[in-house]
Amino acid sequence: MSRISAAFSSFFSILFSGVLPETVATEFGYTKARPVAAPPPEPPKVKLTDGALQILQTLQRDARLIDFLMEDIAAYSDDQVGAAVRSVHADSKASLARHVMLAPVIDGVEGTNQKLDGSKAPDPNRIKLIGNVPASGKAPGGTLRHRGWQATSINLPPIGKQDVTILAPAEIEIES
Amino acid sequence: MSQFIIGIDLGTTNSAVAYAQEAGVTLFPIPQLANPGEVAEFDLLPSSLYLPGEKEFVEGSLALPWNAQPSYIVGRFARLRGVENAGRLVNSAKSWLSNQAADPTQPLLPLNAPEGVAKVSALEAARQYLLHIRSAWDQAHPDAKLAQQTVLITVPASFDAAARDLTQRAAKLAGYPEVTIIEEPQAAFYAWLERNPNWRELVKPGDLILVVDIGGGTTDFTLISVTDKSGELQLERIAVGDHLLLGGDNMDLAVARFAEQQFADKGTKLDALQFHSLWQQCRTAKETLLADGAPASHPITILGRGSGLVGGTIKGKIARDEVRQLILEGFFPPVPADAAPQRNRRAALAEVGLNYAADAAVTKHLAQFLRNAGNAKPTHLLLNGGVLQASAIEHRLFEVLNSWQPTPVIELKNESKQSDLMHAVAHGAAYYGIARSGKGVRIRGGVPRTYYVGIESSLPAVPGLPAPMKALTVVPFGLEEGSKVELPQRKFALVIGEPAEFRFFSSISRRNDAAGVLLDEISDSLEELAPIEVFLPPHTDGTREEIVPVTLETYVTETGMLELWCVAADGRRWKLEFNVREKAAHS
Repeated sequence: MSRISAAFSSFFSILFSGVLPETVATEFGYTKARPVAAPPPEPPKVKLTDGALQILQTLQRDARLIDFLMEDIAAYSDDQVGAAVRSVHADSKASLARHVMLAPVIDGVEGTNQKLDGSKAPDPNRIKLIGNVPASGKAPGGTLRHRGWQATSINLPPIGKQDVTILAPAEIEIES
Repeated sequence: MSQFIIGIDLGTTNSAVAYAQEAGVTLFPIPQLANPGEVAEFDLLPSSLYLPGEKEFVEGSLALPWNAQPSYIVGRFARLRGVENAGRLVNSAKSWLSNQAADPTQPLLPLNAPEGVAKVSALEAARQYLLHIRSAWDQAHPDAKLAQQTVLITVPASFDAAARDLTQRAAKLAGYPEVTIIEEPQAAFYAWLERNPNWRELVKPGDLILVVDIGGGTTDFTLISVTDKSGELQLERIAVGDHLLLGGDNMDLAVARFAEQQFADKGTKLDALQFHSLWQQCRTAKETLLADGAPASHPITILGRGSGLVGGTIKGKIARDEVRQLILEGFFPPVPADAAPQRNRRAALAEVGLNYAADAAVTKHLAQFLRNAGNAKPTHLLLNGGVLQASAIEHRLFEVLNSWQPTPVIELKNESKQSDLMHAVAHGAAYYGIARSGKGVRIRGGVPRTYYVGIESSLPAVPGLPAPMKALTVVPFGLEEGSKVELPQRKFALVIGEPAEFRFFSSISRRNDAAGVLLDEISDSLEELAPIEVFLPPHTDGTREEIVPVTLETYVTETGMLELWCVAADGRRWKLEFNVREKAAHS
């Protein structure tokens, strides 16, 4: 299976149906915290958007990313924002690493020359040509400005009966 | 024959599993609930049990691959949720197994559970951890189920016979095969042996190896001597320390309490969740600030509660010198060789709880341990436990130890990666399993205590005073696995149909009482344990015998368990059982 089709079939299959395609799963040997499929009590009805909500839910739970993004931070000093960001950043990164394996599309050094196959226009999914792009859309190479990102695998647990539209429950503390 | 030898480090705060095959020893990652609906594998299984309420979680979100509706949560998510709702969290169950003040078989935990929560016993909690491990193993090895494998479980060297017995009972109740019990510091030493195949070049006859094992909740000392027997190096475990409820968690807590006070001085009060976050960060801060070349301080950030994350963020920092002061001077102060830890001063009406070490100074406990072991002067030091990877603590221990003796101790390195120090015990246990089957060196050791039964003196009773007790040595110190002691010289009369109870004592410092030796008084060096009892069932065949004269026999099984038997002249025999219920009532 080509890297491209593996990447895409994984990304969208999980995002939209909550499972990693078996072909991809066998191709990529996972090393870290491999989720073990829990036996679903009954086949849950998964909507197309559920995977996206699940990612948001996870990032809020692990790193409070929604709290951070939704807060009006204009009034706070850079110092105050900075302290919070370090924590949110570290937790988001750890959470993301646990669930999505990310890799650059082109593993090169930004700012250096990057060769391309000049005989055909590059796959627009993977490569975006910028600057003085020839009319044919074909180029033998250029300067790598951004390495791009691709998800090489996604480990999201299957969605059970939870309401994925609730990204974080309200918390009520019972005080004695 | 089993395909695997499985070593389980059933820790106070974390458990780990390793297994040995021909190829060597491998860690077994344990699948567990990481969040509701998410099962993932981690090297450590937190020894935490959460008792979920009926409607507390979305239906099906606690499912495990082997159980769609578990009644308990074990591991990572149990610990996480327990921070938010402590009344349903059971922690440190292992410490309760060796607790003298409460019955480990009674449902007492969590101690502070609200009314209506069905509590569990320490034994049940231990069973749940072991059951989780067994289910996870069976799931991963459908063709080599755990019940068919050789299983070893580690316990603190300081666990007495009753606590070891309870550990085996928990395993049996969790569907384990007959398990072998191995002491944690020894397991750590086995891990060192496994990693140093050239160990015979590193130690020589006459050497004395001190193992200091500081876990999350307990600290354990062990001395291993190296001897020469017809040209072959032999290892013998010659002393173990008292049960010390003092570990890395206490140190993290000390730093967290200090930081909390700093916040409080600035007018910020933390709630339980924020304190937990502080505690976690203090652990990292402690590790960073006690390492070589540590920065002057470590930042602490407590995010705001509620959705006001940035606005409510509290900043602070912990200085290197403060942490060093707290940890090094608080837990590892330089003390003279004759230092003694403060004794527990128990209130007459002590609250039921764990018997935490009254003196936090590990070095004082160590000084006392070495004195009790006949003023031992170790030649080598092996450190184990996550705490001891902090190089400042390591340096301090060497410094203090070297101040007590003329020749400096040599360090035996169990590789300094944190993961190694956390997993060495499970690793070593699996290696020991290989050693037992004759494919590696084995530490000789035997029973690390002397055991006695109480005998009432036949003196005239004095009104108002209990009859004086004497103590009969039934198990001499160091009695080895697979050996037996008979005590034919002393007969006891057992009444048919009535339970007979013996008071039971042990001593960690008296090492020279031979089997059968009678001590005239129960001195301070003897510690009373759970009584042991035996019941001779009434006859069903109409015989009229009422009293059976018996003698005592003691065994140490191949799996390291102590057994006491009453034997009649005609060869009938009855096993004496530990009575943990009585232990609680006595103290």
